[in-house]
Amino acid sequence: MKETDEWEWEVDSEYHWFRWELGSIVRYRDLLFRLVRRDLLANYKQTVLGPFWILLQPILTTLIYWLIFARIVKVSTDGVPALLFYLSGVICWNFFSDCLSGAMYTFLTNSAIFSKVYFPRLIVPVSSMLAHSMRLLVQMILFFCIYFLFYASGGVPGPGWGWLFLPVLLLMTGLFGLGAGLIISVLTAKYRDLDYTLQFVLRIWMFASPVFYPARIVTGGEKLWFWLNPLTPLIETFRAICFGREVVSYDYLFICVFDILVILVCGIALFKRHELKLTDIV
Amino acid sequence: MDPIIIKAEGLSKYYRLGMQGSGRFREDWSYWWQQRLRPSKEGREEAHIWALKDVSFEVRAGEVVGFIGRNGAGKSTLLKIISHITKPTKGSVKGRGRIASLLEVGTGFHGDLTGRENIFLNGHILGMTRREILSQFDEIVEFSGISAFLDTPVKRYSTGMYVRLAFAVAAHLTPEILIVDEVLAVGDAEFQQKCLKKMKEVSTAKGRTVLFVSHNLQALRNLCQRAFLLEKGELVASGDPGMLIAQYLQKESVQYLQQEYADIQTAPGNQSVRIKRVELIPDYPDGGNIIDIRTALKLELEFWYEPPTSSDLIVGIHLFNLAGDCIFDISSPRFSLERGLVSGGCLIPANFLNDGSYYISIVFVSNTTSRLFYFESCLSFQVADYRENTAWYGKWIGHVRPDFPVTLRSEKLLPDE
Repeated sequence: MKETDEWEWEVDSEYHWFRWELGSIVRYRDLLFRLVRRDLLANYKQTVLGPFWILLQPILTTLIYWLIFARIVKVSTDGVPALLFYLSGVICWNFFSDCLSGAMYTFLTNSAIFSKVYFPRLIVPVSSMLAHSMRLLVQMILFFCIYFLFYASGGVPGPGWGWLFLPVLLLMTGLFGLGAGLIISVLTAKYRDLDYTLQFVLRIWMFASPVFYPARIVTGGEKLWFWLNPLTPLIETFRAICFGREVVSYDYLFICVFDILVILVCGIALFKRHELKLTDIV
Repeated sequence: MDPIIIKAEGLSKYYRLGMQGSGRFREDWSYWWQQRLRPSKEGREEAHIWALKDVSFEVRAGEVVGFIGRNGAGKSTLLKIISHITKPTKGSVKGRGRIASLLEVGTGFHGDLTGRENIFLNGHILGMTRREILSQFDEIVEFSGISAFLDTPVKRYSTGMYVRLAFAVAAHLTPEILIVDEVLAVGDAEFQQKCLKKMKEVSTAKGRTVLFVSHNLQALRNLCQRAFLLEKGELVASGDPGMLIAQYLQKESVQYLQQEYADIQTAPGNQSVRIKRVELIPDYPDGGNIIDIRTALKLELEFWYEPPTSSDLIVGIHLFNLAGDCIFDISSPRFSLERGLVSGGCLIPANFLNDGSYYISIVFVSNTTSRLFYFESCLSFQVADYRENTAWYGKWIGHVRPDFPVTLRSEKLLPDE
């Protein structure tokens, strides 16, 4: 009879930084996809326009920016058609901030179920990121539809090989949101007041990123800090590829990729270390 | 013997009260500094509890194990550690096979989604794969009886439908270890019966290990083969559930007014006596539902009797108070009874017991001296105080509090000075 130490699992009192158990996410993939589905289905229940909000939301934001920044304040769009310029900024920014807020409320909104049943907690923020990627995909289709309208009238240069690089940029944007969101999720679970601060920080952050103005207009002493914001090289490179400009700086792009990977690793490590501790607190 | 499937060693769980949940950065920060600066100073120790203290046990595959203890004894904490939801402060649990918890009804449901969507969502949360759910889908729908509303958002369901659907999903789980924590607290009696039946089926027919916590001691005694008694985080005893429940009742003073056994094979007793039902029926004064000193209690007893050769039977009823003092020991006359179902009873009159907690044991004796079966601590109840026409509210002393009249009469008047 086997009563040896062939245990399949063990719960001990140690908290680990680097025991990520990413394999368990694969094992729970059905749950992952179901949560993505739930996100997409449940969010638009009981709305008149339903999933059209996925498109409507960036369109409306773009129109508002266009009205304010192109018509009234007259901020330069670097010779790029204003609608496309704002839309690209809005889509990138929204994807980032959606991934961030999708991850940062993990513990607060799921405390009831987390205290009742175990599944890899990382599934929740990852599923939220995947759901937002679906929305992003739809929005990118919209973006390219409008893009080709402008292309027909000669306003933009049209597709090139550089486009193959666009998914990587968007992936980095999402991972940045996810990594930062994971760190914040642990902190907000412990310190609720962070939540209010963050709403504020996010708003300022958007103004500090080249969403509705080109990076070129930031000069002088702020320039370095401006470019160290990982979103700046991401959005700028995205636009450079789409609108046929010189990529502004590869140095900053590499720094930003490095930053994002560090943040992501820290985020996952912090999250995995605290995912069970937080059940006792929240 | 079946292999050990769960092995807990020296499990302890420590909760800091107040501080950790403060959610305020400043307090945590100053706490952290205190720890750094004076790590050894015992006097600064803040409020804390050991929810579990050095608990070790083993569970074998296919066993149904119950955990008994009052609120806060550590039962739920223990189950949470086993189901990976929280970590112990010390010690470890090792095990084999998948674990799933029968969730409190409705956890993991999304109101805006349809019944069909929720079956999948909930199933996945509980660790089932898509294929497993698909293979059980029809059964789940049938068990819950909501097939007509499968595509309606669950927030439009009645509470009953909701509960049925949630239980149906959980009941069709296929893990090796099933954890059931106080799920029977909700739902009507009929539904609880259905749940219990299903759980029994899961454990016996499918050979799964079940860890069970419930305040429904009747259910616990019926379902479990073995029980653990927890007290203030410590495992104080383990063994036969009936015995432990008796031990628990003697200590804890809980109402336990009825026991009934449908299956003669597993009912408590032996080859001569098998209990079918024992029940205390209070005759509440003025329609209330609290047993107080004015309440008469009718004890009813039914048992299967297989007389030993040439013998007669006496049934005795022992009433104890919480301290273990016997208040009375009354018995029936000698009966010569045939093999079969026997019923009996007695009446504990109103205005007889003092307020307090009591428990009853029933003894079956043959030929006046040889004890056939002692059904220990099978019922327990609490008697509340009730006073009229008195301005005194201290504890009324005495084991009994009969209503014999005490009279006073004026015999002789003294002349005025």
